[in-house]
Amino acid sequence: MSEHYVAVGWNRQKKLYDSATLAGIALYLAAFIGVGTFVQPFATAETLIIRGLGTCALALLHVILCIGPLCRLDRRFLPLLYNRRHLGVTMFFLAFGHGAFAIIQFHALGDVNPLVSVLVGETRFGSITNFPFQPLGLAALVILLLMAATSHDFWLANLTAPVWKRLHMAVYVAYALLIGHVSLGFLQGEATTVTTGLLALGMVAVFGLHIIAGLRESVPDRPLDRPLNDTGFVDVGALAEIRESCAKTVTLAGERVAVFRHGDQAFAMSNVCQHQNGPLGEGRIIDGCVTCPWHGYQYRLEDGASPPPFTEAVPTFETTVRDGRVFVNPKPRPSARRA
Amino acid sequence: MNERDEFYVGYGKAIPPGMARVIRVTLVILLSLAAVVALIAISGQRKLGASYFEFGLPREFQGIIREFPYPFLEIERPGEHGGLPGFSRYVLVGEGKHGAEPNVAGLDGRTVTLKGTLIYRENQTMIEVTSGSVVLKESIPPRPETEKVEELGTVTLRGEIVDSKCHLGVMNPGSGKVHRGCAVRCISGGAPPIFYTRDATGVSRYLYLISPEGRAVNRDVLDVVAEPLEITGRVTRIGTTFFLAAEPRSYRHLAP
Repeated sequence: MSEHYVAVGWNRQKKLYDSATLAGIALYLAAFIGVGTFVQPFATAETLIIRGLGTCALALLHVILCIGPLCRLDRRFLPLLYNRRHLGVTMFFLAFGHGAFAIIQFHALGDVNPLVSVLVGETRFGSITNFPFQPLGLAALVILLLMAATSHDFWLANLTAPVWKRLHMAVYVAYALLIGHVSLGFLQGEATTVTTGLLALGMVAVFGLHIIAGLRESVPDRPLDRPLNDTGFVDVGALAEIRESCAKTVTLAGERVAVFRHGDQAFAMSNVCQHQNGPLGEGRIIDGCVTCPWHGYQYRLEDGASPPPFTEAVPTFETTVRDGRVFVNPKPRPSARRA
Repeated sequence: MNERDEFYVGYGKAIPPGMARVIRVTLVILLSLAAVVALIAISGQRKLGASYFEFGLPREFQGIIREFPYPFLEIERPGEHGGLPGFSRYVLVGEGKHGAEPNVAGLDGRTVTLKGTLIYRENQTMIEVTSGSVVLKESIPPRPETEKVEELGTVTLRGEIVDSKCHLGVMNPGSGKVHRGCAVRCISGGAPPIFYTRDATGVSRYLYLISPEGRAVNRDVLDVVAEPLEITGRVTRIGTTFFLAAEPRSYRHLAP
């Protein structure tokens, strides 16, 4: 958490994370280009660079897309999620390098503007096998640019988390465009069964993990089917079911609510973190504050406000414990957000 | 604290030990995968044929310009040639994605010196003319014809239109769909279009595409570059260079 904006709020974990990322990229490019000079002795340097950067970006995108569902399936992967935005921005730069090199190589020094050439150079849009693949890559690059440019918390706060989140869900559109770009380009003319199989494997990993995580997520989404007691509160279960400093997540009036146990008391607040809409119900109570498992944003138990000087706040719900059972008022309290 | 109770805060001091174990193993797997995926990605590609571009090594040439249908430089072979063509023919292109027409306009049949960079693949050689390097040898009279046009009959061939500059060596690969955008740009800019075909024994043939009237067809073939095509046309040879004369509208698409 930070009360003011800096380009990157560095800490030890981020430095370790970025070092590992750069090491992986260096290893990939060294292996691809180094071995490429031997197994493809007649490939030009530009070809090796373009293909190295492109395949590296695509591989990294698969890793990025797998991190989310992996964390849903096993919280021990959460440290991978913490700095995922740096991974995304790094992937954009790799993709940008690929695209810039390709546009210069294939479209510069000609009789029309290179960007115009990408869009109008090939015209067989009515054919699947001859469909122009480069505009698909360019469209994906534009989406990735938008995401990288708005990745900073400044944009997250100013666009608001739901809008920011929707914008960044466009990564799936970019992924689909890139699969089209690769399938209709490289795979048609230059690939072998091995490289085609490699891409298929990546797609199976991405789709498979999302489906499995989605199926697991769908369980707590079922609305709570318990009668209201005489005060209008909903019985959400026994306090003993909830581990100390942890929460259970329930759906009340269509909204996911995290019900925390703190000693003999229960506290309820929206399950949605104001930062990136992370699942607060999977967080912990640390220093008297609910702490988001994604990036550590904190909210006070009693009013849902972040401790000063931070200004975020989440809706809270009135809670009572009677005969060992927790009752929650499904109507949220007024927001405690400070000006 | 067991692993179930561990909680990670990114700005905290360290990753809890159970999570750290998982992350370490994941990191080793991901770094190994980076190397393995890179090796598979580069090894699992179609092998590229030999072609050369002597980038940065311009040479000086002297020969006769043939301006039409595409610019060529004819260089006389010294000594006896035993019935073989007496001239080596080098197709000319300009720098970037441009033809050599502006460099040699009005010089048909004239002897010139020029600087250029060699581009070659199999038995085909091209010169990328350095801008401003063409110098007319005014003392040598024009030579309108050095080699006879030899008619070789009508044939039907299957292959692909490539841009001569990239395919002969400036880029590799310089054919196929991945290169189509570039080939369109080069041919549009004036690089001669070649019909590249291979016979059943794998021998490559390079035929410069022209119209039935013998004119350049650059603008007429842009929509069918880098696609499997069947062309029926009249084959002619000038020296060591083959031409395929056919109406571009008669080119037939083949299933990929």
